[in-house]
Amino acid sequence: MAEAIVVKPDLDFVKGVIAAGGSSLKKCYQCATCTVVCKVTPDKNPFPRKEMVWAQWGLKEKFQGNPDIWLCHQCSDCTAYCPRGANPAEVLGAIRKQTIKQYSAPAALVDIVNNKAMMPLVLLAPAVLLAVLLSIAGTFGIPDGEVIFSKFASTLFLQIVFTPALIFGAVVGVLGVKNFWGDMKTANNVSSGDLKGSIIKTAKEVAGHEKFKTCDVSADRYTSHLLVFYGFVAAAIATAIGVLYIDVLHMDSPFSLGYGTPVKIFGNIGAIGIIVGIGMMMSNRFKKAEQLGGVGSYFDWLLIAIIGIVGLSGFLAQLLRIAGVAPIAYPMYFIHLVFVFSLFIYLPFSKLAHMFYRGAAMCFNKYSGREAVADADNSIVVTGPEDASEEDTKPDPEEPTVPADEVGSGEEKQ
Amino acid sequence: MEKKYGVYICKGCDIAETVKIEGLEEVATKEKQIPICKSHNALCSPEGLDLIKGDISGEGVNIVVVAACSPRAKHREFKFDGCIVERINLREFVAWSQEPNTEDTQALADDYMRIGIIKAQNTDLPEPFFLEELDKTVLVIGGGVSGMSSALGAAEAGYNVLLVEKQAELGGWAARMHKQLPQSYPFEAIEENSVQSTIDKVTSNSNIKVYMSSEIEKIAGVPGMYDVSIKTNGGSEQAKAGAVVMAAGWRPYDANKLPHLGYGANPNVITNVQMEEIAKSGKITRPSDGKEAKRVAFIQCAGSRDPEHLPYCSSYCCLTSLKQAAYVREKNPDAMAYILYKDVRTPGQYELFYKSMQDDPGVMLTKGVVTGVSEGPDGDLNVEVSDTFLGEKIIIEADMVVLATGMVPNSRIDAEDLAKWKVKFDEIAVAKGGKPDPNAPLEPHKIPNILNLEYKQGPELPVLDEAYGFNDSNYICFQYETSRTGIYAAGSIRQPMHMLGSIEDGLGASLKAIQCMEATEKGFAVHPRAYDQTYPEVNLQKCTSCKRCTEECPFSAIEEDDKGTPFHKMSRCRRCGTCLGSCPERVINFKDFSIKMMSNMFKGMDIPDEGLRLIGLVCENDAYPALDMAALNRSKWSNAIRFIPVRCLGNLNLAWIADALSVGVDGMILIGCKFGENYQCHFVKGSELANERLGKLQETLGRLQLEPERVELVQLSINDYDKLPQILADYVEKLDEMEPNPFKEF
Repeated sequence: MAEAIVVKPDLDFVKGVIAAGGSSLKKCYQCATCTVVCKVTPDKNPFPRKEMVWAQWGLKEKFQGNPDIWLCHQCSDCTAYCPRGANPAEVLGAIRKQTIKQYSAPAALVDIVNNKAMMPLVLLAPAVLLAVLLSIAGTFGIPDGEVIFSKFASTLFLQIVFTPALIFGAVVGVLGVKNFWGDMKTANNVSSGDLKGSIIKTAKEVAGHEKFKTCDVSADRYTSHLLVFYGFVAAAIATAIGVLYIDVLHMDSPFSLGYGTPVKIFGNIGAIGIIVGIGMMMSNRFKKAEQLGGVGSYFDWLLIAIIGIVGLSGFLAQLLRIAGVAPIAYPMYFIHLVFVFSLFIYLPFSKLAHMFYRGAAMCFNKYSGREAVADADNSIVVTGPEDASEEDTKPDPEEPTVPADEVGSGEEKQ
Repeated sequence: MEKKYGVYICKGCDIAETVKIEGLEEVATKEKQIPICKSHNALCSPEGLDLIKGDISGEGVNIVVVAACSPRAKHREFKFDGCIVERINLREFVAWSQEPNTEDTQALADDYMRIGIIKAQNTDLPEPFFLEELDKTVLVIGGGVSGMSSALGAAEAGYNVLLVEKQAELGGWAARMHKQLPQSYPFEAIEENSVQSTIDKVTSNSNIKVYMSSEIEKIAGVPGMYDVSIKTNGGSEQAKAGAVVMAAGWRPYDANKLPHLGYGANPNVITNVQMEEIAKSGKITRPSDGKEAKRVAFIQCAGSRDPEHLPYCSSYCCLTSLKQAAYVREKNPDAMAYILYKDVRTPGQYELFYKSMQDDPGVMLTKGVVTGVSEGPDGDLNVEVSDTFLGEKIIIEADMVVLATGMVPNSRIDAEDLAKWKVKFDEIAVAKGGKPDPNAPLEPHKIPNILNLEYKQGPELPVLDEAYGFNDSNYICFQYETSRTGIYAAGSIRQPMHMLGSIEDGLGASLKAIQCMEATEKGFAVHPRAYDQTYPEVNLQKCTSCKRCTEECPFSAIEEDDKGTPFHKMSRCRRCGTCLGSCPERVINFKDFSIKMMSNMFKGMDIPDEGLRLIGLVCENDAYPALDMAALNRSKWSNAIRFIPVRCLGNLNLAWIADALSVGVDGMILIGCKFGENYQCHFVKGSELANERLGKLQETLGRLQLEPERVELVQLSINDYDKLPQILADYVEKLDEMEPNPFKEF
């Protein structure tokens, strides 16, 4: 056996996870039913049992460069089968939030964004900032005549304000991923691998929403997440076309090209995708509250709210514009701008940070060889010969309804 | 009394469909000359019972022979005051287990009729045995939680109590605790120690007399009349008592035997007892430098469930560590308690307490094996643990380590002490002119310790090897019962247990003590033959003082007078009849159960020249109900065997075998309890004694030119009823292959 390691329990870390929504953390008694039923965990060193005990013991260094908490898609199969109500899915979500703090600088922003008490500040700050900037630009107010949103916020304004916001979010996220990647390599003793292949494989997986398909309890999340995901893709395409019109074709908004143009088609498809997807997510959470051990944390709901409002306000602003109701149309458009802005600047601090870290973790899992890169069927996991001696190996997942697999004798608690 | 017989045959429950009732009536009226013999379609119905009651009042019948179902059924119905009732089991032993309407089945039923009537003819109405003087004071030994609960229980029921405590204060270990475990639902948070209020209740109760700093010097006499000498105030005080509750408690396992866990080498490795004292004095500080201990590691099973130390689980240590973790957390919200366990065992409702403590963020738990405790810098400790849930071998840094040591019952004599006593006993043997036997094991109950009984078989309670020195009777249904009638063990001297368990235990034992005194006063046996008014009657004129009965009595109920003649201390007796079986002179008999009665029953059976005739002697507690159950499941067995119940297989007197074989019975099968401690027989070891006696039989049978295999002893547990048909079939097949008993011709 390897040399003994000194563990340094950190009570504050435990309290932090509990405060972040992992209030059931301490209930876990390590039966490992969660690990047995989990369909996305690799066979080698599977999760989430070990993450549960590490968090109980406040071993925060164990989460430094830990890809596993991000491999979890929080489908909540584990929670549905947990005999003790320890809700591993929610706990892992809370741990993820704790680790976002490690990589998304400044860490204080993570705390502020995800603190319920700070909600007014988090929502009002971008609104005030935009209002001030619009006032400086001299367009803050309800313009006369036909409703044309560029009268309220010019395309130049949007480019000057929103592009840096998006760049800020993306840069923080990318820097975070860089550190995370380095930590993962150190923590897992991995020095090299097939980066390109891993990225392609991961991209395919994400595009196909492969992991979501494996879930039982949250099977319908496949559709809702897919809708939101491709809603954003469509919206991004619409934006790109807009940029093309303005910066390449030098047209100015409104593009008097009618509703059959690609920019409108993509924009509307995107909006509908986001609205329907978010609506499904919300209703699923309530429908399955019992199995999921609750409807989710503030961390979850903040993102649901921001994305939902982005989609809804954008779509409503369009309808109001067509209807020509200026006194409501402009404020609605303002709301839309505020939430798009929030989405951009909070990108690496809110739950949306998962697009960086989960992507990186999924990629690392292939890069490190824990999951095959070349294999067409990504459900097959290659375990090298050196893994044979690993004691922490996932039991046979064929019978997920038998929770006692890893429990010792029935009469004894572990 | 003038005996007036009435025989009543039930036709219900398939009996009339299996045998000819007229045939049975003929056995009673013609063969046995019983004038009153009636049958009824359902004898247990009100009309059927009226039939019998009518004869009792009208005809003066006082011996009622009921040929119906098993005596284990309908016992309330077939109970007639002032009458001897004999039950013949036609339903289970004939109707439900035999082929209907064959000649052999009829012969079997006829024989059961004969046996039953002969038994009734050989039975006399019992005359209860009364003590000349009786005292209904309960003596409670031990003033801890169990003892106080016991004393209060008896006192509140109106009995006088003598409470003898060795220490200068009441309360035992509980009085030394900082706080106590939750005592009621929801079992979530620790509570203030309530032992002082219990002490106040005890000292203010006028029915309880407390002897502090006192010990039992001697207990002589019998249940209902014990003469107790109490060593107190530098002198000796005499008192009378009717029953004894032994609640002498426990001691912690000696942590000096645990150097591998760092005890002794580092002052900051302490026991859970020391932890209580530290918590009681204020902050959780460590002994070496008085620094506050913010990281406290608890090592569970410290010397427990370990063949090198205590092989058993003390069941309180996990709870105590969880409680002490609560002290750590309560006194400093930034402090952490690490609990390193083999398995968390929190019996009963305390699962809720475990859950509640587990929820505390500062209480960290993991399974693991502690492989060493070493000293770090500044008096800190490094606890090395392998096989943890954390997945690797870990070192935990702690300010203080608490060893959760287990309970040793005060009834246990440690091996070192046992050796010293052996030397002492050998010296006594030599002084008396004998020789010391180096191989003889010294039984712990021969060493004076707590009770100091003046009993033939030794001063203390025999303990089971499996019970590690605890005074646990381990009788599944009789948890306070010991093998000394009138003495009941309670609390942690009986079984390791927590405070709540001790409170309940003390109360339970006091009720058993009361029950014993009341039964003794009314002249009947205590458990398990409660309400039995018969008792062993000895014809001393024929006694040869061989002392087999005094040796074999499981309850030390037989003493010897100056000349060595045995005599029964009747209220210690549980009426098992082991003495009846042990007596080579056949001088010990009961009013309803005797050597002669059994012999007459064997002789009274119809033994034809052709065909197998076998007798089955079955223990009434296990084997007999097992037969009933087999019959209830409609298992079939041979019609050659006649089953006769005995109180215990220890009743087996070799005379019976000789008698049976000499009248032409081909063989005898004896079905009793399993040997050894693990199978808990009511009468301790009757089955083993019977087997021992059978060993002596070989020679006798050889002399008679009979194969010893004709007699077979079967060990059966009650739940093995489904195996019975095969056991019986195998036995019958074996006997079938032998020549018929040559004595049939005589």
